[in-house]
Amino acid sequence: VKEKPMTKHHASPACLRAGATVPSALAVPAACFLVTLVATLGAFPALAAEAPATGAPPGLDLSAPGVAWAGFVAPKAPDYAVARLFNDFASPAAGLGPVTDGPAHPYANNEVAREMKIPPTFRVADLDNTAGKNLMPWVREALAKQNALVLAGKNGETREARCWETGVPAFHLNPGAMHIIQTPKEVVLFLTGRTRHIWLNVPHSANPKPSWYGESVGRYEGDTLVVDTIGFNDKTFVDSYRTPHTDKLHVVERFRLTDSGNTLEVAFTVEDPGAFYQPYSGTRNRHRVVNPNNRLPEPDCSAANDDYFNIGLEPVPTAEKSEF
Amino acid sequence: MKVDGVCGMGPRSTGATVTLAIGAWAAACCAAGAAPDISGTYWATTYSPKIQVVGGGEAPLNAAGKAAYEKNQAGLKDGSIVDKARRVCVPDGMPRVLATPYPFEIFQMPAGQVTFLYEMNHQVRVIVMDKPLPSAEALIVDPKYNGHSIGRWDGDTLVVESAGFNDVTFLDASGLPHSDEMTTVERIRKVGNELEDVITVHDPEMYAKDWQARFVYDARNDVRVEEYACNDTHRDLSSVKGVRAR
Repeated sequence: VKEKPMTKHHASPACLRAGATVPSALAVPAACFLVTLVATLGAFPALAAEAPATGAPPGLDLSAPGVAWAGFVAPKAPDYAVARLFNDFASPAAGLGPVTDGPAHPYANNEVAREMKIPPTFRVADLDNTAGKNLMPWVREALAKQNALVLAGKNGETREARCWETGVPAFHLNPGAMHIIQTPKEVVLFLTGRTRHIWLNVPHSANPKPSWYGESVGRYEGDTLVVDTIGFNDKTFVDSYRTPHTDKLHVVERFRLTDSGNTLEVAFTVEDPGAFYQPYSGTRNRHRVVNPNNRLPEPDCSAANDDYFNIGLEPVPTAEKSEF
Repeated sequence: MKVDGVCGMGPRSTGATVTLAIGAWAAACCAAGAAPDISGTYWATTYSPKIQVVGGGEAPLNAAGKAAYEKNQAGLKDGSIVDKARRVCVPDGMPRVLATPYPFEIFQMPAGQVTFLYEMNHQVRVIVMDKPLPSAEALIVDPKYNGHSIGRWDGDTLVVESAGFNDVTFLDASGLPHSDEMTTVERIRKVGNELEDVITVHDPEMYAKDWQARFVYDARNDVRVEEYACNDTHRDLSSVKGVRAR
């Protein structure tokens, strides 16, 4: 199904071009002025009604002009519970959740530190809570090593901060603004220079090529977009604690609007029989922000992320040689 | 005759005063019918590391341009200049991104915007259809690799004006230079099963006169634009002539 864009404005340039073919030279500017005026007054309100076909249900139109979905909006007054989720998943009310920090090493992200006026810390995973106990031995071992590095003052940056592709569900952690394009064929998620494609109403490929974001297929169930992703490589982490996974990773995400359309809830379930004993769930909420001037940013993470001070930061992704 | 429907003005325009002149204008303006549709996925069939100037020959560098080009070429050769677009995958800049041997996708959405999404380094270009370019002052404080772009339809052609480029990119893989004063105009249209983009480069700091390059792509709605991680291998490009074998 091909989308039928119906963006119809900018009458004036076409008007000027057409001017030469109109018999009366005097009549043209007047006519053009009139049409331009009509365009200004009439076409723009009409645009909303004539928006391009998104294929989305009315209750899940995520791609209106100027609309983006921020992972974090600073609370008016210091609020630990809000600040804490600056770039972390929320655990489910019941059942297994993602890896978190623990009482031995409470994590204070930059936002928490700023709001609560305490020093920021890096993440140290709690390996003894229920989420920690859900990890298979090799995963626990990897996290124990990572914890030791962080406690020794090293490797505390997230992979994302070092410009690596994030994978799923870690894609959602970025606190920045997510832009979304919905067409009847696909949904494209843009988040601070990273991009994911969700192919609608098609089955998974027989043998998807292992990739950083896997192969995502989706469908609308009422006002919920349900996305099923497989076909991952094993090079990403499922969270900001650097929890590894295998290529058996399978993620189901459910996107829906809550809070009168002001909150985009992404609830997900992660399963990986090679890494986790049981599937676990988590949520990431994003907040509707409207700014017509806030368009898609350029993906230039690595432009300003050299290890300027030689402090042993993980290198940014680098191509050893050009492929063409 | 009513203005209603003329160039898709919509029902709000029905009340307008109508003259014969508008009728004539409407006939000329809207002969093509519905709004042009250039959305879809495209993929070049050829690649050239050196930009091909329309009319042949070399890009008309001025003295400063020649000096910059020589410096870039020497630096790329001896490694003193790093091609960051390839090495760490910062955006290519214009018009180098147009030479991409990877597929790209055009969305005529959200309303008021045409969005180009390139597979290579998931670069995006936003063509703003409903606003003028930012002021010169605003462009100076917010330069971009691929510039700021606005567009309008001229019949079946999307005319894109771009300005506000940074000065850290090359115009092609050979190191052809530009300044941050560069502006470009593209005329993009579908011709049969192909998409054509003719770009005019205006950069008096580096070039003696304006010059053009033409890029042609096949419509490939059978192809999915894939992800692209800088430190990984990517799709097979053996169908693209001019790409060196792996």
